[in-house]
Amino acid sequence: MPQPMLDSTLDRRGFLKSLSLATSALLVPLAGIRPLEAADNVVEITDWIRIERNGRTILGLSQCEVGQGVYTGLPQILADELDADWSTVSVEFVTARDAYRMAAANEELQQFVGASTSTTVFHDRLRLAGAQAREALIQAAANRWRVRFTQCEAKNGRVIHTSTGRSLSFGDIAEEASKLALNPHPKLKSPSERSLIGKNLKRLDTPAKVDGSAIFGIDVRVPDMLFGAVWMTPTQTGKIKAIKNEAEILARPGVKAVVTAPFWPLPVHNTVIVVADSYWTAKQATDALDVDFDPGVSATLNSDKIMKDRLAALDSDKAVVATQIGDVAKAFAEAPGKIIEARYHTPYLTHATMEPVVATVHVRDSEIEVWGPIQGQDMVRWTLAKNFDVPANKVIVHTTFLGGSFGRKYVPDFVLHAAVASKAVGRPVKVIRSREDDMRHSYYRPCASARMRAVLGPDGYPTAMHARVVGESLYAMIKPKAMQAAGGWDETMVDAIYDLIYAMPNLTVDNIDVKQPIPVSFMRTVGSTSSVFFLESFINELADAAKIDPYLYRKHLLAHDPRAVAVLDRVTEAAGWNTPAPSGLHRGIAFNLYTGRGGAFESYVAHVVEVEMVKGRVAVRRVVCAADVGTVVNPELVHANIEGGIGFALTNTLKSEITFAKGAVEQGNFDAYPLLTLAEMPEIEVVLIDSDRPPQGCGEVALAPVAPAVAQAIYRATSKRIRSMPFENAANMLRTD
Amino acid sequence: MQFHLNGRPVDFDGDKQTPLLWVIRDWTQLSGTKYGCGIAQCGACTVHIDGAATRSCILPVEAVEGRQVTTIEGLSKDRSHPIQKAWIEKDVPQCGYCQSGMIMAAAALLKEFPKPTDSQINDTMTNLCRCATYHRIREAIHAAANA
Repeated sequence: MPQPMLDSTLDRRGFLKSLSLATSALLVPLAGIRPLEAADNVVEITDWIRIERNGRTILGLSQCEVGQGVYTGLPQILADELDADWSTVSVEFVTARDAYRMAAANEELQQFVGASTSTTVFHDRLRLAGAQAREALIQAAANRWRVRFTQCEAKNGRVIHTSTGRSLSFGDIAEEASKLALNPHPKLKSPSERSLIGKNLKRLDTPAKVDGSAIFGIDVRVPDMLFGAVWMTPTQTGKIKAIKNEAEILARPGVKAVVTAPFWPLPVHNTVIVVADSYWTAKQATDALDVDFDPGVSATLNSDKIMKDRLAALDSDKAVVATQIGDVAKAFAEAPGKIIEARYHTPYLTHATMEPVVATVHVRDSEIEVWGPIQGQDMVRWTLAKNFDVPANKVIVHTTFLGGSFGRKYVPDFVLHAAVASKAVGRPVKVIRSREDDMRHSYYRPCASARMRAVLGPDGYPTAMHARVVGESLYAMIKPKAMQAAGGWDETMVDAIYDLIYAMPNLTVDNIDVKQPIPVSFMRTVGSTSSVFFLESFINELADAAKIDPYLYRKHLLAHDPRAVAVLDRVTEAAGWNTPAPSGLHRGIAFNLYTGRGGAFESYVAHVVEVEMVKGRVAVRRVVCAADVGTVVNPELVHANIEGGIGFALTNTLKSEITFAKGAVEQGNFDAYPLLTLAEMPEIEVVLIDSDRPPQGCGEVALAPVAPAVAQAIYRATSKRIRSMPFENAANMLRTD
Repeated sequence: MQFHLNGRPVDFDGDKQTPLLWVIRDWTQLSGTKYGCGIAQCGACTVHIDGAATRSCILPVEAVEGRQVTTIEGLSKDRSHPIQKAWIEKDVPQCGYCQSGMIMAAAALLKEFPKPTDSQINDTMTNLCRCATYHRIREAIHAAANA
């Protein structure tokens, strides 16, 4: 992986002058926002706050808006400390400064969205910035009035001299405030002084998203732009040998170029891009391509073989130990014939964002300009810098709204494609991946299998557990160094198991990387969507074996953690767990402590689901969720993340499966990779636990416990244990191993 | 060939087999109507043709010759359509990419069923949303019907 090249943070006074430089701020205007005032009408107070002379406050947003609501929630934090007038603020994406970068789990410092960290990480940074700017504005007003700082206060975009009632707008004093040194330790508001944090402010991006004016990556239009469509080898390991009808394609009206491009991160060219004067012309031309290619090592790969490899690994003696507490072998040996064992399986998945991957790039002599739905701004800089031999700070990244990402648009493959196309024609090119190529050339959520074993004590609670998880390792491909540093095991494969929250006197957790030539990457909730299915399904099976209510069973094993107990108590109370389910409905329960990557935060979640079996099919009717995600900046945004997370997880649980035949992904569109529909969406009730902890992650936390809770409810309804996802796959419904 | 888009005539002289979606997006440069699947599965490309909700990604532009096409940009001038108002009230969108199509489908639904039942909503609103904003969509449709 290329190393980050960090821009030296621009002096904040220098920023004003540099506004005309494209590196400083988002330049794609997001619809619904008034255009920027001329640069000399705007002054910068901090990295995050600029104020126009007319008083309008521009709040910087470093985190891309993928639907999770940061476009509202993060400015809300900033405006709260700043005492801005919320009705007049506007939001702009900002980039290319260290202030906007963060490091997940001690990885490289970079600007990106991921791992549900935006609010957790930026909460403190934005409060500090807001308070610093507020103090500078108050000081500027106090100077103007020749009164003491302590005699003034900020409110609703104005500074007020409390004894006389005089006031000045932020715009009146912004220039003077911008010349003051920022207080490194401003006084932050106490919870009772907060004016915006905790309120259900309406989303700032909604208006532009209901009238068609919001600009997504696919909507970018820049002067002199051409369009590109792609053709990709069917296998992931394919290599183009020749384009047999290149001359014929080039002769088509409107076609400007035919170029090949690599499949990131490898240098191997598996992609043909046809550049034309319209997308449709380019698309028709790519459909007509006749390409000679070598399918590569995955030519014979298929899903049966992938499963066989995993099944063999489940009983291998070569696992890498992640966690070893007590002596599981001894405990098992002392309980012959009493070991409870279950095996579980999950398939490859893809993000299937509604907006396929798309980017517009202009490669010029000494700099590269990018417009698109970018989840990792620095990842794009490093990738293009390496591939085109320009400094990373000469890669200008303009981030649009993202039409969904779920991790997919962090991978820069599609940006690289547009850059290759632009370089070939010397003009900006927008390359739109078709749905089929988006689905067949993704970076997948890895498959996994687990063998869970435990013995129960006389009271029915486990005394020892051995969890073995095998599958294609995500970290082995994406973060080999992190995996090596950990001793060769992959945290994401055993999320929530390696650092088990349940009381367990003897515990062994190990895993095996079953290598496959399939590109894998991060997808919403990462490994937990497999590992928590394994763990929580198994906990339900142990509770049933012990003939103890699965809610009370968990409560007993979690008695040491009051937050865990609270979400269990609240979810069962809200769901009416202690009263019989309505006729025809069956309940299931699951819990998770989501700790994010590298234990970045602690969010507690529990679900109770109610399902109905309709002609042998599962219909999920209701999901009740209780969550402790720390301080809630905007309850409605958290609700939306949880509602959507449950819906997303139901698609994974019931429907999603990427399979391979002859090395190629078999699913190409929503007919073969269906999503949950409106008719299938359950009722959802969300209970948020009051907390004085700082904000914890919330974008991913609702997903993982959905599948095990649904599986438990199906068991209640049918006496069948569903141990393989997706549940709507008939073979999985019938599996008994 | 000519058709009417949001009340104005559009003259298109390209390939008549071009799907209406790409004529709307690239020829007339109205980008509110989205590409999602290209096989009329997801509904992100939903527009109204003579008032009826239609998926434009597989419809050759020649099929709308002389007809009235309405896109999200033409639904109202100021987000004042009852569906748009309800969408804002319920903060329906997350990523927002599917919402133009959803809103066009919902607006057509309300024309057919001014007070739709849940079952009518289920049968009609078959557009896909990966963010799963579905239950707010249902609430917003009911809210618009009762406004």
